[in-house]
Amino acid sequence: MAKTAETVAEQRGGKKFRLSSTAILFLFFVVMVAAFAALSRDFYSIYNVTSMLTNIAFSGIVAGTLTLVMIMGGLDISIGGNIALTSCLVAYIYNMENAPATGIIILIAIALGATIGGFNGFVITRLDLNPIITTLGTMAITRGMGYVLTKSRSILILEDVVGFIGRGTIAKLPFPLILFIVVYTVLTFIMGRSKFGRKIYCIGANQEAAKLSGINIRKVKFITYLVSGIAASISGLILTGQSAVGMPQHATGSELDVITAVLLGGTSLAGGKGSVLGTLAGVLILGVLYNGFTMIGFRYVHIRVFQGVILILVVSLYEVREKKKY
Amino acid sequence: MADTTISTEKEARVSFREKLAEVFVYGKSMVPALAVLLIILVALFGTSTPNFLAYTNFKAIISNIPIIAIMSVGMTFVILIGGLDISVGSVLGFTAVNVALFHHMGFPAWAIGLVCLGIGIIFGSFNGIIITRVGVNPVITTLGTMALARGMASWFALDIESLKLGRIFDQQFLLIARRYFPKEAQLIPITLIYVIVLYIGMSLVLKYTRYGRRVYAVGSNEYAARLAGINVSRIKFSAYVMSGIMASLAGMILVSQLSLGRDDAGLGSELEVITAVVLGGVSLAGGKGNLLGVIISVLILGVIRNGMVHLQETIGISYYWREVVKGAILILAISIDAARLMAVKKRQVVRQ
Repeated sequence: MAKTAETVAEQRGGKKFRLSSTAILFLFFVVMVAAFAALSRDFYSIYNVTSMLTNIAFSGIVAGTLTLVMIMGGLDISIGGNIALTSCLVAYIYNMENAPATGIIILIAIALGATIGGFNGFVITRLDLNPIITTLGTMAITRGMGYVLTKSRSILILEDVVGFIGRGTIAKLPFPLILFIVVYTVLTFIMGRSKFGRKIYCIGANQEAAKLSGINIRKVKFITYLVSGIAASISGLILTGQSAVGMPQHATGSELDVITAVLLGGTSLAGGKGSVLGTLAGVLILGVLYNGFTMIGFRYVHIRVFQGVILILVVSLYEVREKKKY
Repeated sequence: MADTTISTEKEARVSFREKLAEVFVYGKSMVPALAVLLIILVALFGTSTPNFLAYTNFKAIISNIPIIAIMSVGMTFVILIGGLDISVGSVLGFTAVNVALFHHMGFPAWAIGLVCLGIGIIFGSFNGIIITRVGVNPVITTLGTMALARGMASWFALDIESLKLGRIFDQQFLLIARRYFPKEAQLIPITLIYVIVLYIGMSLVLKYTRYGRRVYAVGSNEYAARLAGINVSRIKFSAYVMSGIMASLAGMILVSQLSLGRDDAGLGSELEVITAVVLGGVSLAGGKGNLLGVIISVLILGVIRNGMVHLQETIGISYYWREVVKGAILILAISIDAARLMAVKKRQVVRQ
């Protein structure tokens, strides 16, 4: 008994000397912002900061809900396809004869996201399928539907239908940023304070134990995938509003970006561990990093290489750190 | 009397159903079910479209499948050990760009072949080291390599655009995939021979060599394999290297077929490869399946891809549905995999 108490004390004492990973990430973020500001004069221009924040909001919203999915031990790769299909559908409906009002278009878009997320959730929970392969399939289906809808062309949106969602401002703050803040506040509350959040952690840590303790695993999983789908369609609306065009190639490879952000935030793919706050740090760091690289003069293809390197580096570092603990 | 005949008929029907279930549901291999599916598909496309059963179309299908078929061999090894490799499409693209680059530098065909092999080994080893030594999840690792290889392909291709869009003129290199046997009749493409040799060779390796049995052992129970004295990391590492090599060889053959090396070669082909392997009965849990099933499902996918073009011509179904169909088949394939597993488990419980 005494020994265990000692080890516990040791662990607690040891912790005092170590900053939490989230704190390290935020520190890193501050350092990086300072570095880029020193390297590039345009980094701090209003225009660049606004565009950076909008981009962060765009990938951040999906990253937030993907955190829930990954803490639960799942994965959702269909995000990019979902975003693309949403933009295609919005543009398609807008170009129909007697197109419905903006509000209805937005509702349809969100319903689409809910359908895709619901489909993922249903198939994964009912048939107990591997979430990675399932959502890989959904990715192909959604992006393919985008190609079918647009016949592989870009559809322009000439009027300001959903432009407000992508480019509008409230009290000089970009609207996507406000959405982003709202989503993170809600998600932090859910994961930190609500019963549902505890259930997600519990399922991720030990699904069998969660089942035995009376948690309705299927329901929780279904809702989480559903929410992930809805978030993707909201991001799709932001992207459509920003670009005023619906095309099936939208957000190609964005799932990589989003998954990297979540992993960088300290959520493990095995589930049961991670936080929305960590993901926030991950999203901010990656957003600033990509923007900064562009400002310094790297091209998109280089950034694509960095994305891969960063992803592998981040997970390797976490893995090594984890191994050192034991 | 009448009653008994009815009951025997019923019994016969039930036993027939049981026999069917024995073959298609509980059977060890997916091969019979897949063969039936292939025949049904060919019959469907053959009756609904006029040109599908033409000999030239048969040739078109045969020359289209080698890329997916070759990559599927590597993927089979990876899935057999319980992993996954989604970087194959990008490795193929990176190889294609490099073939064009080295060709314009004036390298001979055999040197380009060696470069391709090298690329495959490098990417495969990279995946293998990160997955086995560092212990990162294979999906995440290969997702990273996927971006890395595709990004590098586009990066290198920035210079290629000035080199006449990556055209290849080296006859020696083009002949790698453009030879036909016999010479006069031009019946059998050499790529088909590659595929047949590769599948027979690798099936033998998997079935009869010590290495092959170890691949199955690691996939079905890693812990037990370790206790049995198998070097698990080495087997896993070798599977990823195999996958890398197969992807780069497929890239080489693709460039030789198209005489064009572009950075978007093989974009999204990982999806088709995974579908082929899983549909072929190789369980995602690892340790189960064989190459015979895989090659049949490669054929099935090839027939569907080709048949959809014919459907567009005759019925007017947009060819853009192909991506949707691909995704749907993938989900269907893993559903079948899961359902079979469940059925077998249920029966085991009943029998106990």
